[in-house]
Amino acid sequence: MKDLAPNAWWAGLWAATLAVLLALPFVANAYLVGVGLSLLMWLALTQSWCVLSKMTGYVSLGHVVFYGLGAYLVVVTWQQLPLVLAVPLAGLLAAAFAAVVGLPVLRVRGPYFVILTYGLAELVKFSVMAGEAASGTASRILFGTPELTVVYFAMFALALASVALFTWVSRSRFGHGLRSLRENEEAAETLGVPVARYKLLAYVLSAAIPAMVGAVMALRSTYFVVGQVFDPMISVTVIAMAILGGGDNARGPLVGVLFLGLLSELLWASAPLLYMIVLGAILVVFVLLVPDGLLGLFERPRAGGRR
Amino acid sequence: MSTLLSIESLGKRFGGLTALQDVSFDVPEHGIVGIMGANGAGKTTLFSLIAGNARPSAGDIVLRGRSLVGLRPDQICRLGVARTFQIVKPFPALTVRENLRTAALFGSAGHRSAARADAANNPILAEIGLLPMADQPASTLTLSGQKRLEIARAVASGAALVMLDEVMAGLTPTEVTQMLATLRHLHASRGLTLLVIEHVMRALMDLCGHIVVLHHGQLIAEGTPRAIAEDPRTLGVYFGEGA
Amino acid sequence: MSPLLAAPVVALAGAGLGVALYRGVFARLIARSAPAQAARLEGNSLLLFFGLSIIVQNVVALAFTPNNRAYAWAGDVLRLGSVAMTGNRLAALLVAGGVCLGVAVFLGRSVFGLAMRAVIERREAAQVVGVDVDRVQWVAFALGFGSAALAGVLVSTLEQFSPFSGFPFTIAGFIVIILGGLGNVTAGLVAALLLGAVETYGVALTSANWRSVLLYGSFVAALLLFPNGLFARRLRA
Repeated sequence: MKDLAPNAWWAGLWAATLAVLLALPFVANAYLVGVGLSLLMWLALTQSWCVLSKMTGYVSLGHVVFYGLGAYLVVVTWQQLPLVLAVPLAGLLAAAFAAVVGLPVLRVRGPYFVILTYGLAELVKFSVMAGEAASGTASRILFGTPELTVVYFAMFALALASVALFTWVSRSRFGHGLRSLRENEEAAETLGVPVARYKLLAYVLSAAIPAMVGAVMALRSTYFVVGQVFDPMISVTVIAMAILGGGDNARGPLVGVLFLGLLSELLWASAPLLYMIVLGAILVVFVLLVPDGLLGLFERPRAGGRR
Repeated sequence: MSTLLSIESLGKRFGGLTALQDVSFDVPEHGIVGIMGANGAGKTTLFSLIAGNARPSAGDIVLRGRSLVGLRPDQICRLGVARTFQIVKPFPALTVRENLRTAALFGSAGHRSAARADAANNPILAEIGLLPMADQPASTLTLSGQKRLEIARAVASGAALVMLDEVMAGLTPTEVTQMLATLRHLHASRGLTLLVIEHVMRALMDLCGHIVVLHHGQLIAEGTPRAIAEDPRTLGVYFGEGA
Repeated sequence: MSPLLAAPVVALAGAGLGVALYRGVFARLIARSAPAQAARLEGNSLLLFFGLSIIVQNVVALAFTPNNRAYAWAGDVLRLGSVAMTGNRLAALLVAGGVCLGVAVFLGRSVFGLAMRAVIERREAAQVVGVDVDRVQWVAFALGFGSAALAGVLVSTLEQFSPFSGFPFTIAGFIVIILGGLGNVTAGLVAALLLGAVETYGVALTSANWRSVLLYGSFVAALLLFPNGLFARRLRA
């Protein structure tokens, strides 16, 4: 019974956020819709990242690789494939990539895993760049992209899907297995958790939605720049939002995204370098002083995360 | 009595170091078998091989007629084998209850929901004395509590064969007596088969029906506790030749 | 100011920054982490320093603009026998080689170096035998940051640079460490020479565009093939 008050508060926050975001295209101007779109994008990305990194403890610093792959697929198949097919295909492509790469990649632990994911993302980025240069493609321009409202609602759906995914994982037997292997991989395996398979599944699940997010966002600009869709700062921002929020359930990313997303809107246009500094500072401060994030500060310390 | 576990000519080498050599013995169903030996005799290595945390260099491990060699630790757990770790490996941020839940969900007990798993685990928590702190993070337990958590987890997995690695270490004599009673009760009420590594002689002699003595990776003696206590080879290892 | 003069100043400044960061940031991180969670600590410290490097890069960019800069120094070609190279490359080679030799001798021959190697392998055990772990750690930070700063000066004589050009070198450094295994300097040297060879010959054979692909490709391959390092001693069972 005691838990009902915080639960009600959270339900209220979720409902309010989703209601506002849902209503935005009907009541606000293009700028605000863009802000809403950005928030939805970060929500989808961060929730997906958490499925892997919060649950297994394997911190991915290269999640942008899936985003970029999704964007690239859409751009490459522009005119040839209807978007209705291209976007889900992007998700499938990323999942397949994760399935193939995941097995060797997940054998690497701790800081090595962190830096490996970073290196992998950069490798894919430079390979795509080199490939584009080699094939003589100077630039890719998208004509006739869908209008903002369509893009917006597609992203809304993806954000909703990501929240549903993370919530399900967080509450399932699968999720409990992931938490166990996060706490002690050897003990978990000895108690019956199929760690290798579970890690890989988490990795694959965390890849699909970011790719579709990238695919949809590619429609925002008519001019495609490889460096932008594989920008490591996207990975860093996702981590910052997740760490800011804290916890290992869907509430943390909501807090982190709202906080940092709105902050970035204030700073990005006027002082991008300052924004980066703030981002770096958040990483430092939270890793050092507030490892359980804002959620950890406001909620009574409660192990595991059952919500 | 039928044999639950059969160790056949088991050997393990780590590079140039031979940890186990040609070790063979049987563990009867519902029995309590003790493993004795000086540090470095290969006892924990034996457990690691049985549980699948390491692979034997030679020999076989047969559980109810099925070879365990080459299987992953999680597969072996689901076949009904559980172990405790000498250096405790709790899930620190998870509560005591959640620690046991993992075992109940993924071990041979095979519960499908958290609620059922927790319900099945409550009696174990009560018996082992961890019920009062069931909802605290495992990291807040004392070392003695964490050792009891290891045992509780192993039992919660639903294992038929539970391997206990020096669970008496660091306990006061009173606590040893308590622990012996708990283990005997768990053994009887759940029809467990126990494999016990111990240095605390009283516990070993009291609890076990059969004892195996390892020395430098080799099995040098086995028999009832009385026979082992009087065996010249065992005495020679512990007290020097001519004892 | 000539790089020759700037180098030691920058190196010292780097070392100072290292010590400051150690005291202010890292010591606190270690203090609040349970000893059993070593991997988590290493992961956290990586994120921490990643964050710090983002801050530093952007502060510098804010102060000095993010644009590329370059300057010319000792660019004349010298000939030594059949080998032709520019003066700045030669200087870089000599200085870097000297530093490597110095570190190798320091770690291998001096008592303090022995203490440092002990702390790398097992920190608690080193404490128990009387090593002043805190001192070893801040010296390590000072040396590490200082030599990195020195390397930066050397690179600045050879290439264009901006506040953001540090990252590929960090990655290269990581490759060397991973291939060599943490704490093994000789193996690190071998790995570094290997990597340098791959980069140079690779670029010569293909094109500069592929330089990054080669770098990150080697990096990923190294980690995937040797999750514990190329020359690392096998972990105790």
